[in-house]
Amino acid sequence: MAADSKKWLKVRIVSLLVFFLVLFIALISRAFQLQVLSGQKLKTLAQKQHTATLPLQAERGVIYDRNGEKLAASILADSVCADPSRIAEPSRASAQLAQILEMDKNAIYKKLAGPKNFIWLARRISPDQAVIVENANIDGVFLVKEPKRFYPNGELAAHLLGFVGSDTSGLEGLEKKYDELLKGKSQKHVWTRDAKGKRLFPHADNEEAVKDVNNNLVLTIDSRIQYLVETHLKEAVQSKGARGGIAIVMDPKTGEILAMANEAGFNPNNIKGIKPERWRNRAIADSFDPGSTFKPFLVAGALDAGIIKEKDKFFCEWGRYKVADRIIREANSKKHGTLSVPDILKYSSNIGSSKIAEKMGREKFHDYIEKFGFGARTGIELNGEAKGLLRPMQKWTKVDTAMIAFGQGISVTAIQLISAISAIANNGILMKPYIVRGFTDNDNRLVKMYTPTVARQVISPETARRVTAMLTEVVDASDGTGKNARIVNVAVAGKTGTSQIFDFSRGIYSRDKVRTSFIGFFPADNPQVAILVILDQPQHDKWGGVAAAPVFKNIGEQILNCYKTNIRENPVFDQDQANKLQLVAAEQNIPAPITVDNNDETVMPDFQGLTIRETIKIAKARAIEVSIAGSGWAINQYPKAGTPLTEDRSCKVTFSVSD
Amino acid sequence: MILRFDRRILVNFDWTLLAIVLGICFIGVLNIFSAGYSLSEKQYPLYLKQIQWIALGLLCMLIVFFIDYRVISRIAYLIYGFSLALLVFVALYGYTSNGSQRWISFGSVFFQPSEFVKLTIIVALARYFDDHKSLEPYTLKELFVPLLILFVPFILVLKQPDLGTALILLIIFSSIILFIGINWRSFLIAVVVVLISMPVGWHFLKDYQKDRLLTFLSPENDPLGTGYHIIQSMIAIGSGGFLGKGFLKGSQTQLKFLPEQQTDFVFSVFAEEWGFAGGLVLMLLFIFLIVWGMKIALHSRDLLGTLISFGITALISWEVFINIGMVLGILPVVGIPLPFLSYGGSAMVVLLMSMGLLMNVSVHRFILQR
Repeated sequence: MAADSKKWLKVRIVSLLVFFLVLFIALISRAFQLQVLSGQKLKTLAQKQHTATLPLQAERGVIYDRNGEKLAASILADSVCADPSRIAEPSRASAQLAQILEMDKNAIYKKLAGPKNFIWLARRISPDQAVIVENANIDGVFLVKEPKRFYPNGELAAHLLGFVGSDTSGLEGLEKKYDELLKGKSQKHVWTRDAKGKRLFPHADNEEAVKDVNNNLVLTIDSRIQYLVETHLKEAVQSKGARGGIAIVMDPKTGEILAMANEAGFNPNNIKGIKPERWRNRAIADSFDPGSTFKPFLVAGALDAGIIKEKDKFFCEWGRYKVADRIIREANSKKHGTLSVPDILKYSSNIGSSKIAEKMGREKFHDYIEKFGFGARTGIELNGEAKGLLRPMQKWTKVDTAMIAFGQGISVTAIQLISAISAIANNGILMKPYIVRGFTDNDNRLVKMYTPTVARQVISPETARRVTAMLTEVVDASDGTGKNARIVNVAVAGKTGTSQIFDFSRGIYSRDKVRTSFIGFFPADNPQVAILVILDQPQHDKWGGVAAAPVFKNIGEQILNCYKTNIRENPVFDQDQANKLQLVAAEQNIPAPITVDNNDETVMPDFQGLTIRETIKIAKARAIEVSIAGSGWAINQYPKAGTPLTEDRSCKVTFSVSD
Repeated sequence: MILRFDRRILVNFDWTLLAIVLGICFIGVLNIFSAGYSLSEKQYPLYLKQIQWIALGLLCMLIVFFIDYRVISRIAYLIYGFSLALLVFVALYGYTSNGSQRWISFGSVFFQPSEFVKLTIIVALARYFDDHKSLEPYTLKELFVPLLILFVPFILVLKQPDLGTALILLIIFSSIILFIGINWRSFLIAVVVVLISMPVGWHFLKDYQKDRLLTFLSPENDPLGTGYHIIQSMIAIGSGGFLGKGFLKGSQTQLKFLPEQQTDFVFSVFAEEWGFAGGLVLMLLFIFLIVWGMKIALHSRDLLGTLISFGITALISWEVFINIGMVLGILPVVGIPLPFLSYGGSAMVVLLMSMGLLMNVSVHRFILQR
């Protein structure tokens, strides 16, 4: 080739090369623009595409009783949700789902045909239903595990615990009061999904999100005592034809509530169709005229103020005593002559009490009533506590003073009553009642512990001791009004009470509608429990000593049986106990019943909260023969979890569906 | 004489070119491995197939390398004729997939003659202009035969239909004509003719081809339809960011948001997982390859070698530019694969063959006596 042709070639090649380089620089600039300049925006777009997010509530904390027994726990239940845009035949799918979920076909169709791309179809369905939904394998319909609140003991302490709504936020009781604490932080459920919208796997970080910051609540309640209190109360209400009843057991020295029961109860696992009236915790929310159970406070006050002496005698007017325009009578038309102070309590004399109150004067009397905590909220950690009604002393007439002396014309709550009697049991020191012992974190370490709080010294220890002696006489004496509350070998101090119910429609106290109650504590020389039993409008045995006292006795006896020699061993909360609690809790596998660490091959596993399938699976692995009753989640088993396995490897497990 | 072994062939072998080509092929295999990573295991993995194609291609490359390109040029028309025969065969008995009749089927193996034509047309044109050297720019009349060389395969490929390959044939032809020199008047006439034929040609386009061109103009109009490809590609690339999401970690790729990720959109896979940095390295490799190719064209001792190496280099340059431009959303989506990276046996074998030819020219500048 000629030299100039060579040069000519070179020019062309180089210029074409430059041309191509310019093109490539354009490409590189474009890549830079896409990846570096608008990279973040496109990254967000990508993220949106390949992840599907669903906000889910963190697993709710557990509520334990004082011994680490689960009163409220969370289990994982399946919820059905759908992506309508991916459902090919909404009519067929809705027919299918309607059958499985027992829902209205049209309602489902409406949801499926809607424009949304995410809808809930059914929340927290039973495991059986979930299996059917899963097997139906309808495109665009998914199952999501959601925590569901589960109350393993059913009705036990239902009024205290309350319940949660469909979004697992607390609606009543402790669930509501400590909602924030139990709830933990709401978490997001994130899936990766592919181009076809198929959800592939939950994001790895999701697992950690489940272990969120929530807290477990530890109550002062002892579920064993709670159980026997509820049982006896229920039995009494039924056998006496009462409209309802309240019972509270308190540790008088600490103010800890060991049991608090309302009759009738309800099952917080299934609150559908239950009227709000039913779940009202009357032990704190209702106030009523205390009747004769109020007399000990009058006597204690008068003694403490030095107005009366134990030996003082009062003439009881043979059952008819006129104060201003009112005539005060004894209960059951009894007629008493001259009674000493202890006798006034023993025979529950209304006239004697009125006279003590008169002698004491309304100022002092009112003062002591207030000091015992009436007319003010105790401050127990429960929503809806009532104050009761203590009218201002200036408005008291002579009749008022006389009648309040035997507990008419003043309104008190059950929690006020039990706290006040506990003050007498506790050397005159009023304790603030409480129900939450503390709370623990996810790993069940004690985060916060509440200690007993002294409200005030109401009466001197000496007075308290004397009143206790008098109240012991009420139960002990063969002619005492409280003799039905007697417990063998234990000195019981107590007082009966029957108050007429104020009939608001007629503006007078009803003659036949009464509230009968018994209040007391034992052992008298070193009180360990105080018990209050109230029966609302019993049809039989209207008078306190007959209807309520035996309930007190039955409860008391069984508590003694439970604790054998030393009743205080368990209820007392000290540091050792706190450590023990941790241990107990650890052994029982706290986080969720479903993740029960049933590793110990030698003992009966804990089936509670498991589905039938899970139960069978675990049992099979352990060669345990399970007999199954009911369907849903395990609520009960016999033998209990932790029982050493014997030759007879069988276990009866009861299941129950709620909702 | 044809296979006369010359020691100088080994001494002067263009190792650099081989290294770049192998490097790009290696990246390609990795990338196809990643693109197919989350596919079901039932299929025989494409990356293994690609490795087999590369092996076959290297063999062909070696053969082409050892036959002096002047010898090849002597049978250029024969080879060109053979490739046309293959295209005719395809038109008559070809295997149809996705509505295009492009392949010759050998059982489970498919051969795409239109890929082969890309190379034969370059060799045929080089031969023609080498035979008809002229210092003056060519006129349209003188370009009648080259135009014929272009149009027969162009029409056949367009009929398949394979717009992308037809376009590439046209572009290679134009590049070579511009390189060799065309009379200004003739050039203007050609431009006018092309401009006039464009609206006419629009009518002959299939609907999907029209859609693609319209989509290029505004992809957001139909994000789930025809715009889907390009939008997904831009999302994948853009979300890669500067350093990328990492090998096998491109969410858009692995979760199959990205379409055609083993063929036309391989670059998106690469750019998502390796980021701007990775894409830049890849493009620099291609630029190096192009510069190297141009250098070979420049240093060739004869016009034939220059034209062959220029044609091949131009082919690769345009394919790379159009493909990457397409996935980056600055050019319309026409089915043009990314050389050495897109999965495809015929393309890979033909590309490696052309690299053999390039090395052939490269080595002969030391051997040819002036």
